[in-house]
Amino acid sequence: MAQDPDSTPSLLDSLGEEIIRIVAPVSACMLLVVLLVSTLSSSTSPLSSLAAAAYSDPSSSSSAASIWDKLSGALLSSLVFIASVTLLTFLLVLLFYLRCTRFLKSYMAFSSFVVLAFLGGEILLLLVTHFSFPIDAITFSLLLLNFSVVGVMAVFMTKMPISVNQGYLVIIGVLVAYWFTLLPEWTTWALLVAMALYDLAAVLLPGGPLRLLVELAISRDEDIPALVYEARPVEPRPGARRRLWRERRDYGTNSGSNANPSSLGNMSPVTDERRDLGTNSSLNSNNSMTGEALPETRLVISEQESAGGSSRSELRAPLVQTQLDSRGEGEIEGIGLGSSGAIKLGLGDFIFYSVLVGRAAMYDFMTVYACYLAIIAGLGITLLLLAFYRKALPALPVSIMLGVFVYFLTRVLLEVFVVQCSTNLLMF
Amino acid sequence: MTAAAGLGYVLIALGPALSLFVAVIAKKPFLILTLLSSTLFWLVSLIVLSAVWRGFLPVKSAVWWPYVLLILTSVGFQESVRIVFWKVYKRLEDMLDAFADRVSKPRLYLTDKMLIALAGGLGHGLAHAVFFCLSLLTPAFGPATFYVDRCSHIPFFLISAIMSLGFVVIHTFSMVIAFNGYAEGRKSDQAIVPVVHSIAAIMTLINLAPGGCVVGVPLLCFMAAVTLQYCWQMVWRRLTEHQNRQMNN
Repeated sequence: MAQDPDSTPSLLDSLGEEIIRIVAPVSACMLLVVLLVSTLSSSTSPLSSLAAAAYSDPSSSSSAASIWDKLSGALLSSLVFIASVTLLTFLLVLLFYLRCTRFLKSYMAFSSFVVLAFLGGEILLLLVTHFSFPIDAITFSLLLLNFSVVGVMAVFMTKMPISVNQGYLVIIGVLVAYWFTLLPEWTTWALLVAMALYDLAAVLLPGGPLRLLVELAISRDEDIPALVYEARPVEPRPGARRRLWRERRDYGTNSGSNANPSSLGNMSPVTDERRDLGTNSSLNSNNSMTGEALPETRLVISEQESAGGSSRSELRAPLVQTQLDSRGEGEIEGIGLGSSGAIKLGLGDFIFYSVLVGRAAMYDFMTVYACYLAIIAGLGITLLLLAFYRKALPALPVSIMLGVFVYFLTRVLLEVFVVQCSTNLLMF
Repeated sequence: MTAAAGLGYVLIALGPALSLFVAVIAKKPFLILTLLSSTLFWLVSLIVLSAVWRGFLPVKSAVWWPYVLLILTSVGFQESVRIVFWKVYKRLEDMLDAFADRVSKPRLYLTDKMLIALAGGLGHGLAHAVFFCLSLLTPAFGPATFYVDRCSHIPFFLISAIMSLGFVVIHTFSMVIAFNGYAEGRKSDQAIVPVVHSIAAIMTLINLAPGGCVVGVPLLCFMAAVTLQYCWQMVWRRLTEHQNRQMNN
């Protein structure tokens, strides 16, 4: 077969790599949550969609009153949740302003430990019960303790291999998201929409807490004490920038820390091929388009999710006072069109995307696929907007709105259509 | 019937797609993005179709002409979506070429363009398989199976898996044919894609007759083979022409 000369690597080889590096862990997190939900949930029977097609059931209109009750109850609980999250975020901003970083960091280490040990332990227990896995209590607790301690170290120490760090961040996201899916249905949807709106307000409004936090961090050149997932920096082209890679590597393994802007300033003799859409090599490179000072592109915010003592009961009633929420903005240091930035996404985004998909999994798998595609599309749109606007942007609103919209469309329109065609063996 | 059977049905429907993905597409991130966006395109077109047809469903089983209308409108709509997809791709290609010039890398090769077309087609086929077959497969992981009245020879899941396999092949390779046809401006290539798609879809109407699936499903696989053969011939011709042109330069 005729082949084009492969000596010069084609453009397609590395285009869009950063985007895939952030889409892959988001997809992995969603997949794990869907698997957990489908194995551990016993509420919906698997035949719901086929059975619904077999006999055409008119939608019940008698429960109109209870729908309104459910709706108002859900709205109320999500409002309370949002209010507590706002308060806690302002508290975080205050603490950060007063430079209590050590307290914040140790608090986050403590809460990751609690998430991994207690939430993770409960889920593992549920799995062991479900699969009748033979394991004794002592082994189990020993393994769990080790797992949690390594997790805390992986997330907060800089010397860990980056895959371990990324893996543990995804696991923390999965655990918290699974517990959120246990909320009642209307509450979950109301909560998702409310969080998306809150994220929009908190990041873009001038008085929003997240914006304040970001500006504080930028003006002080410090890291935000946060849990953030960072995609691995892209390997340079052969022969081009080894030095850059080493600097990036140090920066990259600073888990949870947004590396100092100045460390990236050494990207000096930028080869002309580099199209610096958003890289922060502003200091020395003269042909980059972003001559501005780095800070605007460095925005990642997420606060640590903490689970209070009696985690499960607190999660059921959304009055989770001690819950700090992690929401984040997608940040991009150079859109994935060939520059070498690493994209960072707050852990809260992982969590809420997975909550949406997990809740869709409780209905049927068709909604899962549709919502997955909608969320990925929303994430792509957010990244594009980021490359365009070059400032802190909330990653939740677009994806969540698209996801919720597609969920309802699928449930109302698509499912009947597809089931009708498929059971008659008609396809196109 | 048990997880093994369920997994088997999944692999029947998606096996070739999965091997194409792992061997060709997973290596280049841009192709993964193309796949995801074409899957999204197909989903959006399906949602629009279901929105249009929702008022007329469910159709009584004795009548068959609404199904003809349904199939024809759906195929027509999807073909127009393909043209829209092509236009979007054209603009993207120009942007990519401009970017390549700026980064002083070679422009898109012919194989690159074909790979993008392949990824786009695979996205369509994957979306088809996922929504028409996989999303209904959840009961297959349980302890029992399900038969449809019209085709009581083999389980429903197996029929839908085989049909999805046929359609995956048809969607994937007809996108390659279509893109090449639009790029070269050859009317025969451009025309054959909607024709093949409609014939394949109309052939599934044969399944409406009791016992018709014995005829309909093999015919569908035959159409898939025809698409494959046509695509192979076209690609071979194009690549040898290209290589000859390069050697002459």
